[in-house]
Amino acid sequence: MKLPPVVRLVVRNFEANLDPITLLVMFGQPAFLIVILGTMFNQLIPSVGASGSYISFLVPGMIASQMITGAVLAGRVFWLDRRWAMVEQIFSGPFLRAEYLAALLITALLFSLVGVGIMVLIALPLVGIPGLSAAELAVILGTIALGSLFFGGLLIAIGGRIRSANLYFTIQSLLQYFLIFISTVYYPVSSKTPVVLRAIVYANPLTYAANTVRDAFTHNFGPSDLVAGAVLGGLAAVAFVLAVASFRRLELGPVQ
Amino acid sequence: MVLRVDHLGYSYSPGQFAIRELEFEVGRGEVFGLLGRNGAGKTTTVRVLTTLLAPTEGTAYLFGKELGKCGRAERARLGVVLQAESLDFVSVERNLTLYAFLWGVPREVAKSRAEEMLALFELEAVRQRKPWGLSGGERRRFQVARELMHEMELLFLDEPTVGLDALTRKRILDYLARRARQGLSIVFTTHILQEADQLCHRIGVLQNGRLRAHGPPAEIKRKYRGARTVEAEFERELVGGESAELLELLTREGEGFSPVAVDPNAFVFQAQNAEDLVASISRWAHGRGLTLERISVREATLEEAFVHLVSEEAVSEPPARTELA
Repeated sequence: MKLPPVVRLVVRNFEANLDPITLLVMFGQPAFLIVILGTMFNQLIPSVGASGSYISFLVPGMIASQMITGAVLAGRVFWLDRRWAMVEQIFSGPFLRAEYLAALLITALLFSLVGVGIMVLIALPLVGIPGLSAAELAVILGTIALGSLFFGGLLIAIGGRIRSANLYFTIQSLLQYFLIFISTVYYPVSSKTPVVLRAIVYANPLTYAANTVRDAFTHNFGPSDLVAGAVLGGLAAVAFVLAVASFRRLELGPVQ
Repeated sequence: MVLRVDHLGYSYSPGQFAIRELEFEVGRGEVFGLLGRNGAGKTTTVRVLTTLLAPTEGTAYLFGKELGKCGRAERARLGVVLQAESLDFVSVERNLTLYAFLWGVPREVAKSRAEEMLALFELEAVRQRKPWGLSGGERRRFQVARELMHEMELLFLDEPTVGLDALTRKRILDYLARRARQGLSIVFTTHILQEADQLCHRIGVLQNGRLRAHGPPAEIKRKYRGARTVEAEFERELVGGESAELLELLTREGEGFSPVAVDPNAFVFQAQNAEDLVASISRWAHGRGLTLERISVREATLEEAFVHLVSEEAVSEPPARTELA
């Protein structure tokens, strides 16, 4: 029995364009940061709000940041498919463009979840088992799913409009570092944070995702997280529309 | 009819047509060759017919369905080897089986077909290598091999034999001819006219985006062959004024007559009405009591017909890229 086209595309995405070294770096880097950054700063920072230790603060942030990792990997699959003419090859086959787009977004989500799993495994010996309720687990996974859709959709929308590999990967790196560093993944925002920086941090969707995941970890899930979820959902819808529009106008043919 | 092209045109920007007013048909088991110079519109034609580009005028029918309405079901019956190399970042062998997986080919079938393709396209030695590490010829062979991993009814091949040596080319062409005999229809673009002559049942010559001629290779050669070479050899040397007399006869009756070599007992010349001149020479020799040792007309090659056609059209026709008022 044939698997549905989207499933076949997702399986192929996981294998076709990603070498083990890339995956090791993409997932190894945040894991490394949890261990090194967490341990080092734990000595300097006595406690961070409801999280308690710095490492307990950092882990949910790093888990949330996996939605960026998933999106980056899916964006990379898309770009390499364009660069090596596989987009055309697939589009001339028994697939709909919508299926290819859906497969990319699912790839982003699955990579995010793989990343979450790795972060949890790395963090377990350091922070212990958080003891999440089913609702808190659902909040975390829902947030990751919405975030993956948003960032995945955004990178695919950008990737569909650019015809240069250099430019695409430059934008992707900038976006990745900008979004992660100007968010609450590594550090909290307080009244002492400069106003401009604070405004940028709160304009960053990753902040909402990191705060929601953190609140779930510390059992402090509240109305502000519902608002954050709604904002993230809205942004994910916008990014999806942008990705669809980008796909509709996708120019097939050689890219640099 | 597997494919019917009906006044098909495509313009990349308003008024700049890459192809225009194309009309041809491809039947089951037929090999149709699209010939043309660089930029003639061959690749654009393939991209439109494989639904990668939407036509801007006219249409085509794939398996009886209008191109604009063709979807997954029709594309599932196509095979496409594009000019641009495409590959996945896995080994040659895995590329084949992964592509088969993408097409929903059962695992066991894919495995045995991969072996068949690796052998047929002489890729066994490089099966574990990544495709980008292959030579140009190997990469091209890999492209064709991968597409043949799934079943299809109509195969588009955009210059599949570029960079291949003569022996490999022959193997591939023989295989494609065999598949065509089994019912596979093929649309084939190439610069190598000899292989079009060998493989194609019918060919179309594209010039500036327009189909200047189409039909069986023999018909194209006959219609557009231009001057052909005639070699006449007599039993003895021509003496007295015989040589000049024959030359005068040929000059008078020959269309586009042009002498190539005149020996004491042989004449080699080119003319468009070669058959008429053969009869004239026979009559002339008979009248002089001369015996013709040998007289032959060399058949025009497709290349000669193509060059004649394209050069003739280049002089006399406006290009399709210009919007007609």
